Amino acid sequence: MILPRSVAVAVCLAGEILLAQELQLPQNPLGGRIVFEEKKCIECHAVGGFGGTAGPDLSKVRFFGSTLELASVIWNHTPQMNRKFRQLRMSRPVLTESEMLDLFGFLYYLRYLGEPGSVARGRNLLEAKGCVGCHMVAGKGGTVGPDFEKSQRYASPIYMVQAMWNHGPAMLEQIRKNKLSYPTLTGQDVADISAYLRQATAGTTEIRMSPGNPAKGKALFAEKRCSKCHIGDGAAKRIQTGLVRIDLKKGVSEVATLMWNHGVVMMERMKRESVEWPKFEGNEMADLIAYIYFLDFEDKPGDGQKGESIFKSKGCVDCHKPAGAGRGPDLATIKKFDTPIQMIQLMWNHADDMEDLIVSGNKDWPQLSAKDMRDLFAYLRKNVRK
Amino acid sequence: MEIKRRDFLRLFGGISGALVLHGCGLDDVFDVPASLLEKAKNGSGLESWSNTICSLCPGGCGIQVRSIDGVPVYIRGNRVYPVNQGGMCPLGLNALHALYNPDRVKAPMRRSGDVGSGKWESVSWDDALRTVSEKLSGLRKEGKPHQVGFLGYEERGLMRDHISRFMRAYGSPNYYQFSLTQNDTVAYQLLQGHAQVPAPDLLNARLIVSFGANFLEAGYSPVYYTKLYSHHQERQTKYVQIESRMSLTGANADQWIPVRPGTYGALALGIAYVVIREELYDKEFVRDHTKGFEDWIDRGGKKHAGFKSFVLGNYYPERASEISGVPSATILELARQLGNTRPSLILGDGGAIANTNGTFALMAVHSLNALLGNFEREGGIYFINEPPFQKHPDVLEDAIAKAGNHQTPFAQSEDDSFPLTNFSIESFAKNVVAGRPYPLSVLFIYGGNPLFQTINHNDLANALEKIDLIVSFDSAINETSEYAHLILPDHMFLEKWGEVSNVPSVGFAHVGVQHPVVQPLHQTRHTGDVLIEIARHMGGAVGAAFPLNSYEEEIKFRMKGVYLSGEGAVASQGVRQLWLEYLQQRGWQIGRYASFEEFWDRLLENGGWWNPIRKKRNWASVFRTSSGKFEFYSQSLKASVDRLVDNSGGRQSLHNEDLVLNKLNISARGDGVFVPHHERVPYEDDLPLYLIPFHVLPNRDGQASNLPLMQEMFGYSANRYWSSWVEIHPETASEYDIADQAWVWVETSVGRVKVQAKLSHAIMPNVIAIPFGLGHTSSGRYAKGHGVNPHWILRNIYDPISGKPALEATKAGISLVI
Repeated sequence: MILPRSVAVAVCLAGEILLAQELQLPQNPLGGRIVFEEKKCIECHAVGGFGGTAGPDLSKVRFFGSTLELASVIWNHTPQMNRKFRQLRMSRPVLTESEMLDLFGFLYYLRYLGEPGSVARGRNLLEAKGCVGCHMVAGKGGTVGPDFEKSQRYASPIYMVQAMWNHGPAMLEQIRKNKLSYPTLTGQDVADISAYLRQATAGTTEIRMSPGNPAKGKALFAEKRCSKCHIGDGAAKRIQTGLVRIDLKKGVSEVATLMWNHGVVMMERMKRESVEWPKFEGNEMADLIAYIYFLDFEDKPGDGQKGESIFKSKGCVDCHKPAGAGRGPDLATIKKFDTPIQMIQLMWNHADDMEDLIVSGNKDWPQLSAKDMRDLFAYLRKNVRK
Repeated sequence: MEIKRRDFLRLFGGISGALVLHGCGLDDVFDVPASLLEKAKNGSGLESWSNTICSLCPGGCGIQVRSIDGVPVYIRGNRVYPVNQGGMCPLGLNALHALYNPDRVKAPMRRSGDVGSGKWESVSWDDALRTVSEKLSGLRKEGKPHQVGFLGYEERGLMRDHISRFMRAYGSPNYYQFSLTQNDTVAYQLLQGHAQVPAPDLLNARLIVSFGANFLEAGYSPVYYTKLYSHHQERQTKYVQIESRMSLTGANADQWIPVRPGTYGALALGIAYVVIREELYDKEFVRDHTKGFEDWIDRGGKKHAGFKSFVLGNYYPERASEISGVPSATILELARQLGNTRPSLILGDGGAIANTNGTFALMAVHSLNALLGNFEREGGIYFINEPPFQKHPDVLEDAIAKAGNHQTPFAQSEDDSFPLTNFSIESFAKNVVAGRPYPLSVLFIYGGNPLFQTINHNDLANALEKIDLIVSFDSAINETSEYAHLILPDHMFLEKWGEVSNVPSVGFAHVGVQHPVVQPLHQTRHTGDVLIEIARHMGGAVGAAFPLNSYEEEIKFRMKGVYLSGEGAVASQGVRQLWLEYLQQRGWQIGRYASFEEFWDRLLENGGWWNPIRKKRNWASVFRTSSGKFEFYSQSLKASVDRLVDNSGGRQSLHNEDLVLNKLNISARGDGVFVPHHERVPYEDDLPLYLIPFHVLPNRDGQASNLPLMQEMFGYSANRYWSSWVEIHPETASEYDIADQAWVWVETSVGRVKVQAKLSHAIMPNVIAIPFGLGHTSSGRYAKGHGVNPHWILRNIYDPISGKPALEATKAGISLVI
């Protein structure tokens, strides 16, 4: 059956909304980090250079897609991982559903948290970007802006961007008055500048934020009226600049600099439309960016029909036969396919037994792409569940 | 009543568990209230675990208490608490014996007979508090609030602030702390401009040389150090222990170097000689961050000799060897190892500072850290930031309090005996007896047992007898509280709210929160609450200084600052330092808690908070001297000596300077006074042997003597039980025809004690050692009448700079008991 386009869109949106309701977003990477350490993932995998070396450093691999994309990567290298466990005489950790969600949230967060800055680059950038035209640092510079050198506190990268953002209009005015160019930033610039200022200022207190909470960010997205111009998670707005389409799976300060660079255009448009410049306080900018960053954490709905054929073609059906006739349970009797995480958790925990069957039966480990995973989930959720 | 070891073993044999014991004739061991027994017998058997912090020693270990139907029955280490990481010492494991101890003071008591008569009568809390409040109010009315003193012990953090606040609001500058680590940090003050004890990075150092620091047994937190030490094999860290008697730390070290008592400084300077002469020191650090290393010229154009010249001129290895007894080849080898191994770390404590020259000795030892550039460096030493507690507004003193607080602090010696410390038990006792600069009318005693622990036992006893009202907060009657007029017993730590923060020398900021794991067994009250109550009885500005209703609220209020700072993390299973470092590198805080209440609940659940991430430090905060540098030439010592010389008539006459320096036992002259150097200890040369007391883990401050299992463990290493012994080298023993286990008299110019000899190669010849902790004349049925107290035969002699008792400055004779 071919559905009319409008109906298809509605179904699609409904599916997105449904998923959004079902997959609870993490509030903080800590819960997942606890799982990461308690379940001894850290014994093999380092994060940012801290941890074991048997597996790859997870902050460098950067395979962060949606939940099921990550699940696909993990699933496909299960045999390698199991071999490593056996070599190291470790048992494969069993995870509960909430632990699995926390762990995935943690891994997804890693890129958001960014990378440390370079002091040397930061020093050069301060001059190159004209910051010292207004700010005093290391004994030289202007006096229009605050003196970085004397500051008793110094800001973490995200806090620095938030402060810059809040005084953006005033700064723009000064820039124009002094006939300077608006400083645009790229990549790690903010982290580098922050790293340099940390060293150069006399202060010893760093103002830091907590990793953003996507749920709080979502509320801010509406409250700060970002949604007036931008699409967040589906509702159509006047200007079709859907954030999902821009690659925002970057470190938080990278996203923040994109916002900063965009500031001049935004200021002018907002001025024209008499909209007040949105200011951020506390942890708000981190929360807002977390919301944007996590837009892709949830998967798009899969195709149940394709899922059924994957279930057959990948050999799942060989074991999971109806009415318990196979070696594995009849999945129709398992009422745990409400969210992708439930499916991932079941797959993870039974991977050991499954590998034994596959090896004994001279079969290959079934490789599943992210799309396969999505379709399989759609099938299991809609068709198998009683 | 006294209990002998035999009685205890007969009672205890083969049975364990508080509840089983009761009803088996073991009331002498466990005094469990009937209400708890009832619960235990007829309860549903519900098990629960609570985390709290042990405070039987200053180490601050996190513990887990297992309770059945709310009755604590077992204790183990809390493995998520970062200080001890699940480890425990025997004392902590026996905390239930302290909880159920039959000799606890169960309600307020008033002494009704002479000191030591054992005559006490019960008094209600209302009456007791009224007595105290009326006395305090009366003194304020007379304009004499400064005549009230408060003698604390090892309290730190919030409790110390709480007491300080009470005393300030009341109007007395006389809050002091007597402890075994009293005045240990004067050398640090002189060299680095502040008295903070540095935290050594044992984990990352490759070579650790300890001058007398018995950190595995008598350090601030032995379990913490034991945990760090446990990594030494995988990290291939080499430990060298320098001390006269091989301690537990020495026994676990790769090398033990015996040194003559009172000569640690000379040995350190001998090592410095080689490091300097062979240019093995950190030139960059010494150039940029120290003052007084090279010869220098002052503003007036006068030339001064630097540390380098002094060391090279005076402490060549053969001379250092002659003084210390350590072969010069050993000095050369150790110095070269230190200079060529980075990071290498120097520790100084214990015997190194327990002498009349202790301040200069520790200065010499700590100078090695400066030569090696160890400050704020991995594998070196760090200074840990205080936890970010929320602060109270300043106390608003009324006119009476202002006047009282401006009085000369009572324990400050008028004759400047100890110019660099604000408290010495010696000055305290002398001043009380002499009533100078004014009489002491009321003394609160909180923690410790100074009369047992001090070396000026008789002077202090005389002093206590002079005081109108002594109020003790002890939960047991000990040698000191025998002198109290009133005992207002505090809870045992398992029954109360408390906090143990930043144990000195632990390498990260931390706060352990104690909370009651059992309702108070007796009619005891938290001293923090009692102070609030007394303040409110007095009303006015004193009462207003305590707006919160209880000490529990106080802790909660202060901890809000920690929550709001976003720094660190609640000690939690699964999250180690690595994650905090990862976040910190990227400018994040851990932030997890939606509200303070959530943070607080997690805090109690897990036992505490920590912040392993050291804040950025600038050198001005590392060295708070007038030069902003590590001062090999101590300008603050110079200023103090100048002040003393001025007070005695000025420098017009060299005689005045000589008088001052002689009084301070400083034989050096000129610039040599102000740089680390060796001063000779004024031993009594007519006696042949050096006598040193030492501490053992189960009872290091003598306060665990009434725990029978600690008595049992006290002499486990020497195979001596419930009694004292004297360790003596076989060579020395043979000179006196002393066999192992023979009864001997150890006699000093102060007195003599009878003990059994323990022949041991773990002590150097001509040195004898007696453990401290036994010899009680009070303190409960298990403590009284066992062993001897070596402190009571030590000379009443001090380090004149710091006021610290010189525990290793006594010589003794030894003879067989005939």
